[in-house]
Amino acid sequence: MRFDLSVLVPHLGFLASGAMLTAAVCGLALVGSVVLGMAVAIARTSSGGWARRAAYAYVDLFRNVPFIVQLFFFYYGLPEIGIYIDAFTTGVIALSIAGGAYASDAIRAGILAIDNGILEAAEVSGLSKRVTFTRIVLPIALRTSVRPLGSVLINMILTSSILSTITLNELTGQAKIVASDTFRPFEVYFVLLVVYAALTYLVSIGIALLHRRLNRDLMGQVS
Amino acid sequence: MLNVENVRKTFGAVTVLDGVNLTVKPGEVVSVLGSSGSGKSTLIRCINGLERLDGGRITVDGFDVSRPKELAEARKRSGTVFQLFNLYPHMTALRNITLAPIEVLKRPKAEAEAEGRALLASVGLEDRADAYPAQLSGGQRQRVGICRALAMKPSYLLLDEVTSALDPEMTAEVLNILAKLAGNGTTMVFVTHEIEFARQISDRIVFLEKGVLLVDLPTRDFFAQDGGLAQPRVAQFLSKMRKD
Amino acid sequence: MRFTQFTPYDLVLLAQGLGVTVGLFLLTSLIGLLAGTVLGVVRYYRVPGLTQAVTFVTELLKNSPVLVQLFLVFFGFPAFFHLNVGPVQAAVITLSANTAAFVYVIAVSAIESIGRDQVEAARVFGLSRWQVLRHVIAPQAAAFSIGPLTALLVNQLQVTSLISVIGVMDLAKIGATLNLRTLKPFIVWSVVGLLYYLAAKLVAGVGARIEHRLRAHSAFRGL
Repeated sequence: MRFDLSVLVPHLGFLASGAMLTAAVCGLALVGSVVLGMAVAIARTSSGGWARRAAYAYVDLFRNVPFIVQLFFFYYGLPEIGIYIDAFTTGVIALSIAGGAYASDAIRAGILAIDNGILEAAEVSGLSKRVTFTRIVLPIALRTSVRPLGSVLINMILTSSILSTITLNELTGQAKIVASDTFRPFEVYFVLLVVYAALTYLVSIGIALLHRRLNRDLMGQVS
Repeated sequence: MLNVENVRKTFGAVTVLDGVNLTVKPGEVVSVLGSSGSGKSTLIRCINGLERLDGGRITVDGFDVSRPKELAEARKRSGTVFQLFNLYPHMTALRNITLAPIEVLKRPKAEAEAEGRALLASVGLEDRADAYPAQLSGGQRQRVGICRALAMKPSYLLLDEVTSALDPEMTAEVLNILAKLAGNGTTMVFVTHEIEFARQISDRIVFLEKGVLLVDLPTRDFFAQDGGLAQPRVAQFLSKMRKD
Repeated sequence: MRFTQFTPYDLVLLAQGLGVTVGLFLLTSLIGLLAGTVLGVVRYYRVPGLTQAVTFVTELLKNSPVLVQLFLVFFGFPAFFHLNVGPVQAAVITLSANTAAFVYVIAVSAIESIGRDQVEAARVFGLSRWQVLRHVIAPQAAAFSIGPLTALLVNQLQVTSLISVIGVMDLAKIGATLNLRTLKPFIVWSVVGLLYYLAAKLVAGVGARIEHRLRAHSAFRGL
């Protein structure tokens, strides 16, 4: 059989709509996982015993159970307890929770890396714990963890393909439809593979630029 | 008045401060001399509440730093300048200065910024208000550090080896500003290695040795043969520092 | 007749599923480790052209979803090459290649972590490239890479769950079957998740033990 990509041309718009859905899911889940990751990172760096243990248990659990199992747990389980939400929302929630476990690691490392002297300066100038955290600790930690958070996003883009198993027609879901319509699964999935690789490559370039921009002030050399 | 009474501080088995007494009256400039590890910096860190005392009492205008409820008041009355600047790296020079006045003293933003700019101008940095710490030289950073402390209008300025991390040229920048502050009546506790400078600006000089306050004399007496120099430890220290 | 309740036989099903998961995990890890290491060594010998080709393919595999890779092999290969690829074969091919890609990257950085001066010193003493590799590089590279390899394998264990999507009767697929039959998603996915969690902990534990041993060994020799 000839390797013929022209059969895909009529379906490009259809695939693009899937890609948009992937972007939407990942964008929302990124926000969700960073918010969750911040909360968990705060709990994990706090002195409170049970909060720290609960946060650790969450990270440990969601990092060691396959995403598809987590996804099915929510997708089939939530209606069981009377929560009816669509596949899109389920996907965003599941990705946020799984991503949050990884994001919390990145943010926690950022918090722990902050120079103690800076915190002492804040303390002696009378800043409250809350202000110190929201105005000094978090902004610095988020800046320094841009790169690892970028890895979380890239992983999320790849993982979002699994959402096609709960009937969400994101990029992979749409590709499945195109593959069965055209009887050209090889071309379709080969292109899909390259598209994902290109997408994550572009995202990684974007992250590097963002990292440079945000940390320009932090790292800029002394004149 | 800043009162240090019989203060003791230990780290594990090491006694860093051993029964230290010190009084600083408003308007006074007191320099604290002593070799590395003598406990000078720890004394500053006890006064601003960064270290817990193992004995004795420190009060700042009557507020006891060991009592959690009074510590905040005590801290409002003192401002600290650090050896390694400890500026907030993600904030501009101006934001570094205005953060605490706005958040702690609840000053209106515009007012705090106007005062911040005036402070920066007074140390010759009026055009660097929007620069980030990483874009400033060491001397400039420390000048911002001084402004940050002054912005809280402290009764007492605590200076912890503020020129130790700077090269001679930058040291001069910073010392000029401190001389100006001393001249207009700012109360200072000045931990330093700059003996000549301490001699010029101080009203009193105290000498710490292994956590014990050996000498506490008016500046002139400290450097007199029958005063501080009569102490062999002090004579040794001064001759060693001058050789270096 | 339709059983909707749990039966003792379900335990056997779960055990079978776990067996399939662990078996495929071990097999594909072994192939992946071997293939990835061989490719890393090939790079060390600086074969012209080959390095670029390997790097390109490994980057594609690392930066695209495993699910898409599975679809390419399972649906694409039979259509394009007119091969007969069953679910298990597709699973073995895909998971092995995917693991190999990640192992290759770890192997390359492990080999590169060893200082040039060491290699040059050994060459000066008249050791061949192979002898240098065997006696100087291999032991140090192994100690260096055991940590990243453990993390990789813990991850790859979870990735195996995706083969359930193409119909392999692994642990996740058994979970899906039980879920459909009993309609008790919380219990089913909790049990399945727990089994994956325990397996992941086991892999991590074994990795930590090996690392401990290798470290102790090299430290002893260092004296």
